Amino acid sequence: MAVAVLLAPGPASALTLQELLAEKELTPKKFASRFADFEYEFAADVLPADVFLQRRKGDCDDYAVLAGHVLRHHRQTPRLIHVRMVGRVAHAVCYVTESKAYLDYNNRKYAINVERCGPSLRDIATQVAESFKANWTSVSEFTYSYEEDRKRFGVTVVKTDPPANDPDRNPPPAKAPR
Amino acid sequence: MSDPIIRRIVALFATVAAILVVVAVVALRNISRATASNDWVNQTHAAILELGTLRGSFQASDAALRTLLVTGSEQDEAACREASAALLENLEVLRALLRSDRASAPALERLDALAEDRAKLTRDALAARRAAQPDRIRSLVLADTAAGSTAEVRRVVEKLKTEQMALLAARDGEAYLQAQTTRWTVGTGVALNFLLLGLAGWLVRDDVRARRRATEVLREANDLLETRVRERTAELAKANEVLRAENLERAWGSQALEHQLRYNELIVNSISDLVFVLTKAQNISRLNPAVTHVTGFETKELVNRPLQSLVRLGGAARPAGFDPLTQALREGREYREADAYVQDRSGRETPVSFMLFPLRDRDRVVGGVVILRTRDAGA
Repeated sequence: MAVAVLLAPGPASALTLQELLAEKELTPKKFASRFADFEYEFAADVLPADVFLQRRKGDCDDYAVLAGHVLRHHRQTPRLIHVRMVGRVAHAVCYVTESKAYLDYNNRKYAINVERCGPSLRDIATQVAESFKANWTSVSEFTYSYEEDRKRFGVTVVKTDPPANDPDRNPPPAKAPR
Repeated sequence: MSDPIIRRIVALFATVAAILVVVAVVALRNISRATASNDWVNQTHAAILELGTLRGSFQASDAALRTLLVTGSEQDEAACREASAALLENLEVLRALLRSDRASAPALERLDALAEDRAKLTRDALAARRAAQPDRIRSLVLADTAAGSTAEVRRVVEKLKTEQMALLAARDGEAYLQAQTTRWTVGTGVALNFLLLGLAGWLVRDDVRARRRATEVLREANDLLETRVRERTAELAKANEVLRAENLERAWGSQALEHQLRYNELIVNSISDLVFVLTKAQNISRLNPAVTHVTGFETKELVNRPLQSLVRLGGAARPAGFDPLTQALREGREYREADAYVQDRSGRETPVSFMLFPLRDRDRVVGGVVILRTRDAGA
């Protein structure tokens, strides 16, 4: 662990959303390395991107949402995942389909700052819960846009359901919008 | 493996190993079941928590709407939208958590409908506020109050919560029983293994005792054998001593006999007359040195030769086929003949007087002794 911390890139300074969007060939790993010296601070709402970057403080939601926003701009396919664990605040990560890995705010400080993982919600939830040494109960995929400032939840997988019945493996018929 | 005790111990250890495997498999399966039960307990807890949150969201949404209708501020409108979104999110998660619980489906559908009504009320009230229709807003709120949707939400949520609590108790009981089963399985397996190990130890101890007993018996048998060997050796030594004494006596007797024979031989050899010892068939078996001196024959040339080849009887004519010597020997009497001749190596005959004495062994004639006396010597 100590070696991993030593190998981690140094602190970034004066990071802005524009810089992240303009950076060429920004990979998930490079993206994560920009946040190595960020601090953790929980907030109920998602912080606007510039506020998060300027304060250099935020939580998993802020990081995952920003990662999704930036990586989508770089023509990648991010998925925002919300993992609910027993006795803990739900944890958000950003899964990048092309990299077959997810970005986790808890892993930003280490050399291995992306976690390789299968694409199913169950796989992601299992690996995230393992990193917390906890049990997960349900996991949802959600979308978020800074403009709308609202999370929209998609499919939810429950741990006790048979994996074969997971909605992300067997997508349910589309519902009429309410 | 030919030793039965080794076979028994190997069988016992194989049983111990089999029990260990069974215990390990059963324990692992129970742990998996316990993990699954734990997941169910966690899920039920999560559902109960989500029900509480849903009720709060519903109330928060209601409060936000009423506040908005009173203040009409943009900030309250945003809060109202946020509360509605949170309500929908809670409902979505709750639906997922209770997906496997078919009994809760009607209640969830009812909550869905109430949430939909709440969303519609919010949309209608906001539209009326934008259209500056306070009477319409009042009538919407009054209608909602009359419908008692908030109270119904509370009632449905409480019902679902009660069901989930019962489910939680059942699942917790199941988890407890599984833990008990695991304890019993592991405990019984360990106890059984200790029992079998004890049995193996007892068998080993018993076998060692039996072997010690066998060794003791063998040692005693060896001691007895050694005692008998010592006794037998002593007897043999004693017998040997007796034999040695007998041998010594026999040797002394033999020496005395030899001495007697030699003495007899000296006597015979010292006689100047010719002495022959004959077999019953009148062949020469022994002779004295006077014979070789007179005849010039060596002893070995004369032994086994018939006496008649060397000695001729003279005297009165006898009937054909009559042999006086054979007759005398058969009758066991002496025979004397004054006129006889002994032939030497050159064929010259020397006149001798002939005397035959039969040799007896327990009244049976076994041969004879012939003595020839030269007439010159006798004169």
